[in-house]
Amino acid sequence: MDQLPNLGREQEMLDSMGLKSIDDLFSDIPEDVRRMDPLPLRGPQSEEEIWADAQHLLGANIDLDSRPSFLSAGLARNFVPTMVPMLATRGEFLTSYTPYQPEVSQGMLQAMWEFQTMVSELVGLPVSNVSMYDASTAAAEAITTAVRVKGRKATQKGVVYVSQFVPPHRLSVIENYTQGVGIELRTLEHNSDGMVNLEAASVAAGACAVYVEQPNAFGELDEGITQMKEIIGENTALIIGVDAVSLGIVEAPGNYGADIVVGEGQPFGIGPTAGGPIYGLFACKKDYLRLMPGRIVGKTLDEDGNDAFTLTLSTREQHIRRHRATSNICSNETLIALMGAMHMALLGPEGLEKLALRVAATTEVTKQAISGIPGVELVDPNTPNFREFAVKLPGNAADAVAHMDAAGVLGGFPMGEWWDSMSSYLLIGCDERTTQSDIDALVSALTAWVEEVSA
Amino acid sequence: MSEIFDFNGAKGSGWSQPEPMKKDAINTVPSSLRRSTLPRWPRASEPELVRHYTWLSQRNFGIDTGFYPLGSCTMKHNPRINERIVQLPGIDRIHPLQPEHQIQGLLSIFYEMQEMLEICAGMDQVTLQPVAGAQGEFTAIRCIQEYHRQNGDIQRDKVIVPDSAHGTNPASAAMCGYEIVEIPSGDDGRLDLDALRAAVGEDTAAMMITNPSTLGIFEPDIAEAAEIVHTAGGQMYYDGANFNAILGKTDPGRMGFDAVHYNLHKTFSQPHGGGGPGSGPIGVKSHLADFLPSPIADREETEDGGATGDGYRYFWRTPPNSIGKVQQWHGNSGAVVRAWAYYRRYGRELELMSEHAVLNANYLRHQIMNPNQEHQKSIHSMPVDGAPTEVVKHEFTLSMMPLKETTGVTGKDIAKRLLDYGYMSPTLYFPMIVPECLMIEPTETESREVLDKFAEDFLTILSEDPEVIQTAPHTTDVRRVDEVLAARTLVLRKEFED
Repeated sequence: MDQLPNLGREQEMLDSMGLKSIDDLFSDIPEDVRRMDPLPLRGPQSEEEIWADAQHLLGANIDLDSRPSFLSAGLARNFVPTMVPMLATRGEFLTSYTPYQPEVSQGMLQAMWEFQTMVSELVGLPVSNVSMYDASTAAAEAITTAVRVKGRKATQKGVVYVSQFVPPHRLSVIENYTQGVGIELRTLEHNSDGMVNLEAASVAAGACAVYVEQPNAFGELDEGITQMKEIIGENTALIIGVDAVSLGIVEAPGNYGADIVVGEGQPFGIGPTAGGPIYGLFACKKDYLRLMPGRIVGKTLDEDGNDAFTLTLSTREQHIRRHRATSNICSNETLIALMGAMHMALLGPEGLEKLALRVAATTEVTKQAISGIPGVELVDPNTPNFREFAVKLPGNAADAVAHMDAAGVLGGFPMGEWWDSMSSYLLIGCDERTTQSDIDALVSALTAWVEEVSA
Repeated sequence: MSEIFDFNGAKGSGWSQPEPMKKDAINTVPSSLRRSTLPRWPRASEPELVRHYTWLSQRNFGIDTGFYPLGSCTMKHNPRINERIVQLPGIDRIHPLQPEHQIQGLLSIFYEMQEMLEICAGMDQVTLQPVAGAQGEFTAIRCIQEYHRQNGDIQRDKVIVPDSAHGTNPASAAMCGYEIVEIPSGDDGRLDLDALRAAVGEDTAAMMITNPSTLGIFEPDIAEAAEIVHTAGGQMYYDGANFNAILGKTDPGRMGFDAVHYNLHKTFSQPHGGGGPGSGPIGVKSHLADFLPSPIADREETEDGGATGDGYRYFWRTPPNSIGKVQQWHGNSGAVVRAWAYYRRYGRELELMSEHAVLNANYLRHQIMNPNQEHQKSIHSMPVDGAPTEVVKHEFTLSMMPLKETTGVTGKDIAKRLLDYGYMSPTLYFPMIVPECLMIEPTETESREVLDKFAEDFLTILSEDPEVIQTAPHTTDVRRVDEVLAARTLVLRKEFED
């Protein structure tokens, strides 16, 4: 066994300890709980055989790059610069643990401090942690953080308003994280054009927090959200969920009053990778620092007075504070955040802006092309979109997706899977890699289906 | 020292991109929402960044650079075939919401992993969704919470944990809203059954425990403990952080547990990546299976042979009383695929892995605790076992208290001095019930020669001038780092002058 350097040398090692057999090492396990028979599993394979099986099984999947794809719904079909995986998987990064010993972990610590700075700059807030698991747990723990910070002054104790258009798969995570700790989730209403109902939003003044996404689940940008902080006031935390790439052209939420910003980091650093590992962004104002979740790196000095980095504020964390910790998070997504940092650094400010413009451009071109199909209507024709937009179809969107699938086009996400009332809504996702021929293929496939159902 | 923000060259980008498809795309953003100033990210070329990150990597210690005996963390070698596999487009370029027929290979790997983990832990149903061990704990306690609620047992508001438990156990239960009852360990470091009997009652929701314990010793009374908790109407939760010690030798199902989490980043070699990603699947007995997060991979026979040719069609299934989701998608699929490749290397011989992990731990403990005459003469004070026992499992604890009393040298000093010798430090000051604790877990992927050399160096340190140890490390990239200053000044990002 290539993974076990002491195979074949067990007896000499046992002899030196005065033990007779491997069984002696397990003699402390009482017989009534011992497994006596071998594990009923398949036989071992060599590396070549594993590779062949991996190619066969994963080769049976249809990857996003092999056809026109308009499926996004919260994950981006991006292009990750070649440098990123090559350098991030260097063994010194890949095979290290959480940097508890800063003297031999300056590399990862510095990279994470630089990551914190870049995220902080991106969203316009002073503090960032080293990552959450994904956008959903980042949003959920932003809410629990806000309740801890604002709970005392809030006049609506434990109440948090969550936008009506947070997708159910994210909302479900939020519900699991908040249900047991005295938090009541209420709905922040939107108008029929998809925008937050600013008049109704005033009910949230005095609550612990408001969570709203920019753009929303339909990819819609909402100018009204810039007025939210004024409406809800200083004693209610404003938590904004973002599309990280959009911030190359869309205002940083920290500049319009956000107290906490969360989002999916995945577009920077890693492919959609079947939903994970990805990483969640979490940044906040300084008032939230001592009650926020996750690892944080600080810059300090070593004994000789040289600059050095170390994990800090760990008295918030589970290994010190146990059941009074601000979160149970221990392993996070550091390596993926490192990939994100590399991608951000390669882009630079102007590269970020260009990336965002590329996504905005394909979104707009696709939107115009699709809205020209007779029988297909934009759900909210007058709202601006980034990355995604929703259309209403003359029939069931899941049927349309299946029909387009047969034509070799991944045509989007049927929104009926999220909300029953939207079974005729199709969510079309674009990205920087969408081409004119992809758009032509989508228009042609969707037109063919529309003609079939209308006939 | 250079920082990435020192790079601020020509405008443009270190990475080439095509032009936007449309020139005036900025007009799609309403003017009141347009970004006013760009983030102050570095402006660097690819060669500059390759050098920067290569330099940083060289200032970081991993398993690849040296022995990493970090107790409770199972820092075993990460086979490189696993990394090659996850670069395949059939995993890297997959969206979790693609139609099932497009991801049959991924679903089949999920199904195979669920089944394998069920067999290894003696559980009835596994979900791969939780993305870290702590999230696995949280997920399982949520399922237990819903189970009690469905039975009308809403008065069960307490979770019992031993004082030697990982900090995540009480933190995860508290996040579900439970009150924590901590029970003290016995004088021998083992579970105290009388303390447990006194703690259980009609308000007990669950007990969370790891076995072998954080002292690296197997709890012989585990079946009786399970009976005590079950008789009171509570559920038994197994923290799988130490699963590397017992795989194939016993399992949580046999010990009487109802739910368990696995750390794929410990037992199944998903790399730790400087703090993550992890993957923390959970397994449960059938009475809890209906509450698991959605979705779970399932399959049915198909006459057309199936997309992978194994005769099955795979699909996602939602358990009837599912708690919903704990991660937005299906979990850390990339970690699942790596762990799948790791499992395929061993197959039914996974037991060998545990045998060697335990062999190496006992061997290293023996080498340290039985110094030769020369060492005996020169060392200041021998450490004492955290828990007296004939054999340990995959790890062991040493108390450096005698050394502290004779010389003033602390466990932390020893940990820092080990860095000078080219080792990662063992886990320090955990479990808290062992004073001046060093927790050592060598794993199965270290050779006898490495273990011999480590024991030799460890004993040599014990005879060094206390001043040298207390001022360690001496040879690392930076000297001892001022953590107090870091917490006081809180320099958490670069402050720009402009």
